[in-house]
Amino acid sequence: MADLAELFVRSAFVENLALSLFLGMCFFLAISREIGTALGFGAAVVAVQVITVPLNQILVDAFLRKGSWAWAGMPQLDLSFLTLITTIGVIAASVQVLEMFVDRFFPALGRTLGIYLPLVTVNCAILAGSLFMVERKYTFGESLVYGAGSGFGWAFAICLLAGVRERLQYAEPPEGLRGLGLTFIVAGLVSLGFMGFAGIELR
Amino acid sequence: MAEAPSTAGSSAAGGEPGVLRTLALAFAVCGVCAALLTASVVVLRPYQVANQKQEQERRIRALVERLPGMEELAASGALALELGVIELASGEPAPEVDPEPLQGGEIDPRDSDPLPPERDAAGIERRPRHAAVYRLRQDGRLHTVILPVSGRGYLSMMRGWLAVAGDGNTVRGITFTRHEETPGLGAEIENPDWQALWADKQIRDEAGTVRIRVVQEPAPEDAPEAAYEVAGISGATKTSEGVSALVRFWTGPDGFGPYLERLRREAAAGEAARPGGSE
Amino acid sequence: MKGDLRTLSRPLVDDNPITLQILGICSALAVTRRMDTALMMGLSVVAVTACSNLAISAIRRQIPRSIRLIVQITIIATLVTVVDQLLKAFAWEISKQLSIFVGLIITNCIVLGRGDGFAMGHGVRASFLDGLGNGLGYALVLGLVAAVRELLGSGSLLGVPVLTPVDAGGWYEPAALFLLPPSAFFLIGGLVWAVRSWKREQVEAPETRVAAEPAEAR
Repeated sequence: MADLAELFVRSAFVENLALSLFLGMCFFLAISREIGTALGFGAAVVAVQVITVPLNQILVDAFLRKGSWAWAGMPQLDLSFLTLITTIGVIAASVQVLEMFVDRFFPALGRTLGIYLPLVTVNCAILAGSLFMVERKYTFGESLVYGAGSGFGWAFAICLLAGVRERLQYAEPPEGLRGLGLTFIVAGLVSLGFMGFAGIELR
Repeated sequence: MAEAPSTAGSSAAGGEPGVLRTLALAFAVCGVCAALLTASVVVLRPYQVANQKQEQERRIRALVERLPGMEELAASGALALELGVIELASGEPAPEVDPEPLQGGEIDPRDSDPLPPERDAAGIERRPRHAAVYRLRQDGRLHTVILPVSGRGYLSMMRGWLAVAGDGNTVRGITFTRHEETPGLGAEIENPDWQALWADKQIRDEAGTVRIRVVQEPAPEDAPEAAYEVAGISGATKTSEGVSALVRFWTGPDGFGPYLERLRREAAAGEAARPGGSE
Repeated sequence: MKGDLRTLSRPLVDDNPITLQILGICSALAVTRRMDTALMMGLSVVAVTACSNLAISAIRRQIPRSIRLIVQITIIATLVTVVDQLLKAFAWEISKQLSIFVGLIITNCIVLGRGDGFAMGHGVRASFLDGLGNGLGYALVLGLVAAVRELLGSGSLLGVPVLTPVDAGGWYEPAALFLLPPSAFFLIGGLVWAVRSWKREQVEAPETRVAAEPAEAR
């Protein structure tokens, strides 16, 4: 149990998808400058991550690993080259289903999330979560925790940055730095801060 | 953005194609992509497998060359390298197990058991049942065994190889192939000068207790404990502790302890002198 | 010919996907610790973007709107897998360094953005060149950042020691900060600043203005 808690903390802070690995930054930097939208996007990411990482784990383990077709008499069959297509396909499908589900049962939520939900499909952080899960050979339980942790960590970082950007509106930087340039530098400082989480253990 | 596939019957007024057309195109795209993928994988796979094998051998040979005193021996070609799989619990060879997934020193989660925290000083969480071991023979005699080791450092999971002489107790050297420790501090585990400190250290004492460890201030050279102690890296306490835990775990009862014990027994009984004798 | 050259060269500085269009930064930063990985990554993106633009443009009139995005993603995923397999076969060491980041090209905003934004509406030749140009713009930024990071962080360029580090008997004390993630952020921020100081038309208009005097009550 402690290992799972440690995995959660590690995936949320030490190996933060946004600030340590720079994943999923495109969309945020291009779209949102407010905490409100960051929260919406972040929530969508957490939901999709928690669904897709374990789902991908099941599929990859059952069909794509070398040796997973042993029951059919083909133990040497190694379909791992299909990992990329399978994971992105599962993500696209999950987002589609989630969208329909939300529109049907939580229409108000659906309107708030607006276009963010479909955009999540192409968020690098989501695909990265599944790809790391494959590379590190997580079990189902670990995938669940990793999905939750990495999603939460990403959302948290993005909200932090949104808050900072709101403040930056009062700043008067040199013209060339205005907007994108300053955001990057600030992101770098926050990323430096997150490095302080390294070495935390929950044992 | 993507909407659910159209379930309307015929084309809409705007020229939107019907179900059949949509399906046909979807299948066509899938077909072409599948053909392209399959072709490339089938053609490229032999190269990839060869790459993996080559890399493994190169690494092991590079490791061997760097071991103190082994450079000329390794270059002379007098050493034969072979790969085998060992069952950890018994220390016996396990020829029925496929070495390929293990040859890089990885732990296969499906072929492992969870480790309770009190036995997991190295922080690896799972204890493998089998491991790949490289053996170096000189004139048929077992000269060195190279064991995959791993453990939690300060910032990362460290992976490497521990080279032990054929007597099962003398360390020939250690090397790390993967880690993300702090450059200039923990990353000094890659420094050959530090690695050289491991040469000739003993793992167990006469009573059979694992004594080898990394300490910040090792005993003076003439003291009896000096044979078991390696100096840690200054400024990198946590990494050094990680290395210590890692070596002690893998030479202990949950790691290669039983295997090394068997080697020691065989060496003591002189069976190592017989060509192809010890495994 | 002139039009082709413009399509090819515009994304290098004037319309650089990273510094102006804010696309595709994600993987840009994680692989820039060394130049060889950054350049291989750049090359991969050039190949994928150009080929996917080509393919999408070729069938653009056939793709029904309802499955447009999925078809694009399928094509891109296939191309990325092929590139990944090629790397594993012929550039083994580098592919290990790049690990999952080659796979992430699928969700790289540049590839999808150009595929949907340009190739769907332009001819095959123009789309191919556009893909090539945008890929090169991306590779340019990646290469620059990696050059600085490798030089200052390890003292070398493409593995060749330029500033001999202290451990190798030289004089240079490597600036370890450049081996860590935040440095990539700072470098790109600086790069954007430099580019926008050169090409002033890229400077963003201020979103809000702080009032000099208290606003009147309404």
